[in-house]
Amino acid sequence: MAIIEVRNLVKRYPRPDRKSEFFNAVDDISLEIQAGEIYGILGPNGAGKTTTLEMLEGLTDIDGGEAFIDDICVNTRPFEVKKIIGVQLQANEYFDNQSLRELITLFGALYRRQIDPLELLGRVHLTEKADARPANLSGGQKQRFSIACALVNDPKVLFLDEPTTGLDPQAKRNLWNLVQELNQTGMTIVLTTHNMEEAESLCQRIAIMDHGKKIAEDTPRKLILKHAPEPPEAPLHGSLEDVFLALTGHGLRD
Amino acid sequence: MKPLPLTLAGTLTRIFLRDRQAIFFSLFFPIIFMVVFGFVGSQEQEPIALGIVNHAPGGVSDDLIDLLDANPLFQVTVGEEPALRESLISGDTTLVLIVPAEFQETDRGVEMQLLVDAAQVQELNLIMPVLEQSLLSVERQLRNSEPLFRLNVEDVRARSQRYLDFLIPGLLAFTLMQVSIAGSGFNIVEYRRKGILKRLFVTPLQPRDFITAIVMSRITLCILQIAVLLGIAVLFLDVRILGSYLALFTVIFCGAIIFLCIGFLLGSLAKTQQSIQAIGNLVIFPQIFLSGIFYPIDSLPGFLQPVASLLPLSFVANALREIANNGASLLDIPLNFLGIAVWMIISFVAATRYFVWKEVAA
Repeated sequence: MAIIEVRNLVKRYPRPDRKSEFFNAVDDISLEIQAGEIYGILGPNGAGKTTTLEMLEGLTDIDGGEAFIDDICVNTRPFEVKKIIGVQLQANEYFDNQSLRELITLFGALYRRQIDPLELLGRVHLTEKADARPANLSGGQKQRFSIACALVNDPKVLFLDEPTTGLDPQAKRNLWNLVQELNQTGMTIVLTTHNMEEAESLCQRIAIMDHGKKIAEDTPRKLILKHAPEPPEAPLHGSLEDVFLALTGHGLRD
Repeated sequence: MKPLPLTLAGTLTRIFLRDRQAIFFSLFFPIIFMVVFGFVGSQEQEPIALGIVNHAPGGVSDDLIDLLDANPLFQVTVGEEPALRESLISGDTTLVLIVPAEFQETDRGVEMQLLVDAAQVQELNLIMPVLEQSLLSVERQLRNSEPLFRLNVEDVRARSQRYLDFLIPGLLAFTLMQVSIAGSGFNIVEYRRKGILKRLFVTPLQPRDFITAIVMSRITLCILQIAVLLGIAVLFLDVRILGSYLALFTVIFCGAIIFLCIGFLLGSLAKTQQSIQAIGNLVIFPQIFLSGIFYPIDSLPGFLQPVASLLPLSFVANALREIANNGASLLDIPLNFLGIAVWMIISFVAATRYFVWKEVAA
């Protein structure tokens, strides 16, 4: 059963060089994400990953097409959608001078829910940091905390925007475990990443985006079979990174 | 469960109260102002240096000198004419009175000479009557006559007249404007920079609930800050508030709404911390100088007065001053109140019109 349905999604922005002209940052994207899967969106910087997520989250206006999450239309009822999704953004700063416990309680209040901060912090293994301030957390702890904030409303879908960027290998693996734990409770997880290993080991299905378009979509294994160039006789010796580079080219992006 | 804006307002108030540094600086300058002007205002006026050349020593002229010397307004030096003239020109002496030799001959009028440097003596109009009064006293003494009229001055201190008393209501209005505009506008820009607005916007929080919460918590904080300043003024600087505190705080409450809304507007228009500083100063500075905070609007050039008196800070400062200095009630200042009401509407409409979640959060 598809929990997220996206049809012909378009986002237009003014060109950075010529303000009077527009370009499609997201260009006719259609997705069908199944309930309970971990779905990864890959792509170079500027491919439109974050913009796609922001449209699904109701942060950015949808300029064309339509999106449904759990059969609720994002175009027309964004505030209803916000009630059933959890979002972790790339920037994760919070109000100053507030402890994790207080911030979790505040986020609960935004969904009109009374929650037990310690129980929730326990789920992301931060119980002993309940009285610390976010500023004093390590990178991995910060990410886990922002996932905890995204869980206050028991979301059906959890959006993670580059959750492991900037984390050390231990923190990265720790976060993957957390994502898998959450997925085992039946939560659908949509994440963007630059990390091929992450996409390969964590995601059940992957879409690769470039220049606002979806250029490939499948399970990691099938993508490797299909696109990894060499050695062609033993395709699984190639990696997803080979797929990514074969599809998006070797040119540097900003 | 409590309504959401109330919960959020509670959290925000807690956040603001924990920011000790911001609170300290919001009160620091107004307190310095008050204390400095408090001391300036309470200082005795410098006595006027009066030089006397006595060509008729002994007798009544000495009585005159004693009388003038006893007056705290004067500091009397008796000396020779050339020396005193020199001291007058150098500015050490303000007036030189020459008592002629025929001063003793009381059977006819005596003309006395007063040397002044008119450029220095703006208060000449004030000093002359005192001198004449002293001469009159000596004259009465000589003629052994009782004065016909006597003025009995009783200071009921019904209305304050010190500069500090004029300054305090203006200073309260000024502080109110500062903390309100900073409280909403600067905060919005800071929250945007940190991505907090974006994070809040992916929750079902409605913009109006968010604005309401910020306004409620900021008003609470503003009233506390103003109350602290007012407390210091009343308890330590002997400032008297003649009108009711309820009227005073009603005006403060309305003023806070005006300036918070202006802050929201600026915060929505400015995209960076630098631009909010610049735009904020553009709004704040003219009002400091034009709105009768440090001196009355009447003392501005005529063509500026009509504009100046329509500024929001002018209405708030005037209303506070009328209440504090003249004991006015809210009913006594309908025009001020109308001005405040109109500005509340204008600023509220502008703030809600330009505070668009998607644009402000992005």
